[in-house]
Amino acid sequence: MTVEERDDHVSATVRELRHWLAGNLPEDWQQAVRAGDGEALAAITADPARLSAWFETLGAAGWATPQWPSTWGGFDCGTDVAAAIRDELDHWAAGRPMADFVGLTLGGPTILEWGSEAQKQRYLPPLARGQERWCQLFSEPGAGSDLAALSTDATRKANGDWVVTGQKVWSSFAHESQFGLLMARTDSSAPKHHGITYFLLDMHSRGVRPRPLRQLTGEAEFNEVFLDEVQVPDSARLGPVNEGWRVALTTLMAERSGLSGRPVVGPGATDQLARRARQTGAWESPVLREKILELAVRERALQMATVRAFVQASSRQPGAEGSIRKLVHGELTEEIGLLGTELEPLGAIAWTPGARQPEATSRFLAGKTYCIAGGTSEIQRNIIGERVLGLPKDADPERDRPFADRERG
Amino acid sequence: MEFVFSQEQQELREAVRRMLTELAPIARNRALAETGERYDARCYRAMAEQIGVQGLALPENLGGGGGSLIDLALVCEEQGAVLLGGPFFGTVVLAAQALLVCQDDPLSQELLAAIGEGERTAALAVLEADGRWDLASLTTHAERVRGGYLLRGTKELVLDGADADELLVVARTDAAAALFRLPPGEHGVHRERLDVLDATRPLARLRLDGAPAQLIGTADAGEQVLRHVHRAGTTMLAAEQVGASRQCVELTTRYARERKQFGRPIGAFQAVKHRLADMASRLELASAAAYWAAWRCAGATSLAGFTSTDAADPMVGATADHAIDEAVAVAGAYCGDAFLRTASDTIQLHGGIGFTWEHDAHLFLRRARADRNVLGSPRQHWVRLGELIGAEGGSR
Repeated sequence: MTVEERDDHVSATVRELRHWLAGNLPEDWQQAVRAGDGEALAAITADPARLSAWFETLGAAGWATPQWPSTWGGFDCGTDVAAAIRDELDHWAAGRPMADFVGLTLGGPTILEWGSEAQKQRYLPPLARGQERWCQLFSEPGAGSDLAALSTDATRKANGDWVVTGQKVWSSFAHESQFGLLMARTDSSAPKHHGITYFLLDMHSRGVRPRPLRQLTGEAEFNEVFLDEVQVPDSARLGPVNEGWRVALTTLMAERSGLSGRPVVGPGATDQLARRARQTGAWESPVLREKILELAVRERALQMATVRAFVQASSRQPGAEGSIRKLVHGELTEEIGLLGTELEPLGAIAWTPGARQPEATSRFLAGKTYCIAGGTSEIQRNIIGERVLGLPKDADPERDRPFADRERG
Repeated sequence: MEFVFSQEQQELREAVRRMLTELAPIARNRALAETGERYDARCYRAMAEQIGVQGLALPENLGGGGGSLIDLALVCEEQGAVLLGGPFFGTVVLAAQALLVCQDDPLSQELLAAIGEGERTAALAVLEADGRWDLASLTTHAERVRGGYLLRGTKELVLDGADADELLVVARTDAAAALFRLPPGEHGVHRERLDVLDATRPLARLRLDGAPAQLIGTADAGEQVLRHVHRAGTTMLAAEQVGASRQCVELTTRYARERKQFGRPIGAFQAVKHRLADMASRLELASAAAYWAAWRCAGATSLAGFTSTDAADPMVGATADHAIDEAVAVAGAYCGDAFLRTASDTIQLHGGIGFTWEHDAHLFLRRARADRNVLGSPRQHWVRLGELIGAEGGSR
């Protein structure tokens, strides 16, 4: 397909979605969006019954998972078309929430690549229809950046099933998830990357205990998860035994690519800063204006790089270059968060008792999110240096040693 | 018009790269600059005869290749990678783009045909003492006399101005501004070759003291010439900077793999690896920004549905104009800064050897700094972007 044909294909798809939305999105919902009535819209989308009914309709029609193959209810779309679809859904506040990121963006592609027919049959349809939420059970207290050093143990029983014991951490929405993407150690006599197996864990199994962790923002979205002799059937294993690291790479690549902003060039977070700066008068300060413009240039350049990556990647899997966009996006988000508070005359450091914490304060506090989540900026720089530029690998004395012989810190 | 390169474009890039590797590697361009030779005529001719890059982006009715600014950007990127000097940028980018604005004029057509064939070189004189690329800064005056005009004023930082076959000047008329050609003979023209920071890009001062000149195009075309050449020039310069940044990343990566200290290649140390990763990140964004601007300038209206809320809506009038301005401002601001920082990092990561005269690293630093003033001050990009995103109601 030529680029021109693909352009036509994208706009045709978006038109088709619009047509479908007009006939399927509830009338009052459409009305609230058209009128720009934020209050009415908030009331609609805060109703769990209405939301789940809508996700059922959306998923059944295939619009929640356009990149999936048609056999599994998708449209076989490229990433570029899928992004245009997501944008249109966002415009109507009709897309799936951030809490479904792990399931849709990470779980779906991993199961599609590595799952058996039975697994796809079991997990994909409910995921598409928003019936089941997923979380990620990768990081551990002793395995953060050195993820392959994870020590959660999965021991095989005589009947081929597994018993899992260990502790996971930084698991967003684990307390409200039905399933978890789990990596566990199945052979500690092998080097660390070669003794891991990937499971699709039923979070309602006995012995699974999520405990919400309060983040520095004050919110409690992520969790630590204790796993105490959890019985896991072998049918929940994804991919071959001891090859879980390879399976996880599918998940990790999808995560990096998914955490670098939307593939659209146009008004973004820095335009919001500019708008706010005009309201507060900060725009009149040459110093602050220059800071806004410096970030605006970087944000636009990142958008352009993201669009290009999506256009080029429309028929292939995300690669190591996703780390570049993830790195830039993380640092940019932090700087935007800080600058937002500096545009406020009183710095957004105090507010009326009982009033909601100002938006600028929240963004400032959340600034570090993408510098850490999905692999720290330091890890991204290693990946860029080693996989994009081909520099020598960082020294890892434990890399080729049996996991059981590692130094205990 | 696309953000993904076509087969033809990739072949064009390869052909240009092969030719430059053979005829104009960095060492050769450096030697020319150091001996004060302006350029390698054989290379310039080969580019015209074998690939036709001079006429590539000129319209077919003027004997050109009918290519777009995206095609030209690919050529500029490859030239930037070897720090090609000589008349190409001044002639094919600045002068030709100025003439294209006035392409209905037979004189413009004649000059464009000669430029496209690679037979004649040209320099475009815009900047004056305040270094700003805008109408308000023009003081060079064109006095209407019988049979033509007489120009008076001083032009600064004229790329290739001491040597170009043709001199084109933007000057103020009584009512507006216009583009002029100084015909051969050059009475009242004093070309002064300047000592320069970047020897691969010779610059001159032109003193015009009642120099006879021919009007090209209409007597009020100057404003449009300034705007168009600034857009196209900024974008092509950005593409050059992408090529030069790419070369810096490659040079430094190779060095970091080969150079050993403490028993390991220095690229294995995170302090080095991470600085290189930042260089690579800037390159990725710079390249996207430069080609985005080229693609905007080339007049494309949609890109796989991403550019507007409705890809089927053609971009017209003010919207298209703003979109081009915004893309150009971003490319100008980002690519220039990115190249300068990358050139600086190249020296840093090479250590002592990078600070020597014989190493090429300083050539990139010189080029990066010099680039910032050849099309006026880089501050103009920020000012324009500020106008666009600071406008009441935002940029949309």
